[in-house]
Amino acid sequence: MGKYKNSKFYIIIAAALGGLLIVVLAFAAKSWQSRGGKLDVIYIPKVQDNSDFWGSLALGAQAAAKEYDINLKIAGPSSEGDVEKQNEIIRQSIEERPDAIILSPCSYTESTEAAKQIVKAGIHLILVDSSMEEPLGETLVCTNNTEAGKKLGELLRKYLPEDPVIGIVSHVRESSTAMEREKGLREGLEGYEDRILPAVFCDSDYDKAYKVTQQLLEEHPEINAIAGLNEYSAVGAARAVKDMGLEDEIVMVGFDSSLEEIQLLEAGIFKGIVVQKPFNMGYLAVQKSVEVIYNTAVDPTVDSGSEEITKGNMYTEENQKLLFPFLAK
Amino acid sequence: MKQHFKKRVQNIIWHFKSIQDAILLPFLIVITLALAVFLLISLNYTEKTVLRNSEEYTMQLIEQINADLDSYIGYMETISMMVVGNPDVSQYLFGDDENQEEMKDKVGQQFKTLIDTRTDICNIAVLADNGKMYLNRGKSALNPNADIKDMDWYKDTMKANGSSVVSSSHVQNAISGAYTWVVTLSRALLNPKTQEKEGIFFIDLNYSSISGLCERVSLGDRGYLFILSEDGSYIYHPQQQLIYSGLKTEWNGKVLEQENGSFITDEGNNSKLYTVCSSRETGWKVVGVAYLDELMKDREGTKTLYGLTALLLSLLAIVLSMFISRAITKPIRELEGAMIQVQKGKFDNQAVTARGNNEISSLGNSFNIMTEKIQQLMDENIQEQREKRKNELRALQSQINPHFLYNTLDSIIWMAESGKNEEVVLMTSSLAKLFRQSISNEDEVVTIAQEIEYTRSYLTIQKMRYRDQLEFVIDVDEDILKCHIVKLVIQPLVENSIYHGIKYIDGKGMISIMGGRSDGKIVLIISDNGAGMEQEAVEHILDQKVPNHKSNHVGVYNVHHRLQLYYGQESGLKYKSVRGVGTTVFVSIPEEERQPKDGKV
Repeated sequence: MGKYKNSKFYIIIAAALGGLLIVVLAFAAKSWQSRGGKLDVIYIPKVQDNSDFWGSLALGAQAAAKEYDINLKIAGPSSEGDVEKQNEIIRQSIEERPDAIILSPCSYTESTEAAKQIVKAGIHLILVDSSMEEPLGETLVCTNNTEAGKKLGELLRKYLPEDPVIGIVSHVRESSTAMEREKGLREGLEGYEDRILPAVFCDSDYDKAYKVTQQLLEEHPEINAIAGLNEYSAVGAARAVKDMGLEDEIVMVGFDSSLEEIQLLEAGIFKGIVVQKPFNMGYLAVQKSVEVIYNTAVDPTVDSGSEEITKGNMYTEENQKLLFPFLAK
Repeated sequence: MKQHFKKRVQNIIWHFKSIQDAILLPFLIVITLALAVFLLISLNYTEKTVLRNSEEYTMQLIEQINADLDSYIGYMETISMMVVGNPDVSQYLFGDDENQEEMKDKVGQQFKTLIDTRTDICNIAVLADNGKMYLNRGKSALNPNADIKDMDWYKDTMKANGSSVVSSSHVQNAISGAYTWVVTLSRALLNPKTQEKEGIFFIDLNYSSISGLCERVSLGDRGYLFILSEDGSYIYHPQQQLIYSGLKTEWNGKVLEQENGSFITDEGNNSKLYTVCSSRETGWKVVGVAYLDELMKDREGTKTLYGLTALLLSLLAIVLSMFISRAITKPIRELEGAMIQVQKGKFDNQAVTARGNNEISSLGNSFNIMTEKIQQLMDENIQEQREKRKNELRALQSQINPHFLYNTLDSIIWMAESGKNEEVVLMTSSLAKLFRQSISNEDEVVTIAQEIEYTRSYLTIQKMRYRDQLEFVIDVDEDILKCHIVKLVIQPLVENSIYHGIKYIDGKGMISIMGGRSDGKIVLIISDNGAGMEQEAVEHILDQKVPNHKSNHVGVYNVHHRLQLYYGQESGLKYKSVRGVGTTVFVSIPEEERQPKDGKV
């Protein structure tokens, strides 16, 4: 009897001590997690500069990083299109073993190998702005280009003169964005499909855009509407139209924004432009990366949105922040 | 009611199997409850204090921001007064053509000084409806593609009653080639001749000085600050684009309700503390947003500390209360153990140690006194019993002697008359031996050898008296001869055999005495070939009160009773008898050579 009582006594003490130990460990684990447990995410853009687009994207990413309290590192090549450099950065980033890598691949084809390495290393991969030939990455955050193209088409449609002949100045042949925007544009211009001339391509170069537009206008003097499908195409085409003195005869719409494009819009040469939302893109990319890390179900593609801007609404509270993301132009 | 409650409590307490549990459990419940209450109160208090401190801290921060903003705006206001009140300006804008260039230079000089001293001034300009104007250093031009009269801040200023108007943050596109984020303070200009609003003065404050101010403020890792204008549009917000896209919402409704103060949003893990401070100059509301979980970061630490303290304390309480309850109940348990032993009849060495001077120790003392008394009484009882046995033995001795003595003496006389000298000698010596043995030995216990010898003397006498009518055999194992046995066991049985058995038969009587060990006992067997008994008589022979033809039969009961008294219930006599064949009596006693405690009787 006495022995039994004794053992019961020690069992209670042992249980109490055990409970204490567990609680202490739980607290320790929790405080360890809250201190050192910040998520590490690396964003690798196509280019790391202060351009409106990439700069805004980085700002958006940083805003989300602050809100979700994660460690965000941004590392990208100093000039756009430097696939080699970007692939090297990807390899370095893998070695840092972050929880997730957000990538804007420089190339539709040549970035694939490096991106595959990310997935192979067991790091979450989130694509932002551009995709690749192979479906990599747990989600793709980008502008719905078909939707944006459609908006551009609908915008142009409002200003179409009678008997319209529509020219398209696009950027890179066979690139996903060019194809999707053109497709959307044609949807937006439903009913005028036979009025649309085959697109010309400028390879994202102002001068080439200028030249192909001149050529197009010489070949088809009947053109009275032109849509530029990215900033280079739009600005190059507008310069050509302006230099040829045709700004009153030709209705123009453009894509993306730059100071020059804004001035052209103010001057009335562009009737309207469609802009992407790079800040949102960066924000959403980081937000989705956190969700992916925590195993929340995420859609395979996330639309960061686009906006139609005309001379009438360009200085509204909402739109001026899109057109002028930075304090000084 | 009170009585009822008391009873219920008692019922609960008696429900426990041990007093220790009955003490321990209420103890633990009280301690745990006290600790829990302490924990809750402290945590709540800490939380409130942390929150209040954060509110105060945030309020101080944003009040500072507000003061900075007010001083900016106030400075611009001062400039606007200077410029608007400057007669040179109105003379230049609305005056006659005479001193045009001179006035323009004076205005330019003033603007230059202002721009040079303040880097945060982005643009400063006066414009008249008549087309006269002065922009910055005089070299800037208006944006040809934008009509200033369409701009919101221009329209607002013209609507206002000559007072200065501060715009929201916006991109200033009035100046050609420059698109800068600014906050514009503007004021309509009156033409002194017509007293009509015929021009405007505006000064652009570089927005980066405002946003820089806001960005520098730190409200934790995740917290931020934003500024709302009176009508709810954003002057500054770090995530303005997300709000415009609907990806994020702010609690503007609640913010606009507040003049100065704070509120907490209920968003689970993302609950925030909003602290609002309104500017008197501009009506702008500076709003500090801090995440509660960050503010409460210390709370986790405090929680841990409090929790651990409470846990340690309760552990200590458990251990202590167990020790205390054990200490209290230990003497009770000792008492209980001692009582169980007493219950089993073991009185010796059961005294409990009673320390201290409380109820339980006096209980222990009483118990000790009681057991001592009982022990004493039992000892007395044993003594009395022993006395009784001794008396019985004496009675037995005195009972058999006279009758037997007459007969024997008669026989001796008769033998002497017949001249049988040899036989007289043998009989007399046997008688003498018999008496010597019975008288000289005061011990209650004798060796079996002595007992046999005594019986032999008796039998020798009887054999001579009955001549050839009696024969006896004694065959006892050598090794039990040294064992002890209660005195006067065999002889009375033999006597019984003679007077109740052999006496009633014709022919030779035979008595045999055998002895040996069996089953760890010493067994003596006395058998005769006498008349024997009916089964019924055998069954009752050991009863105390059996009506019997001869008073001597009492001897059987006496022997049996003494054996049982001395050796316990296991020992005693056992009879077997068949009518007309004979009787056998078995005497069994324990084997061990048991010395009675006192030794002497």
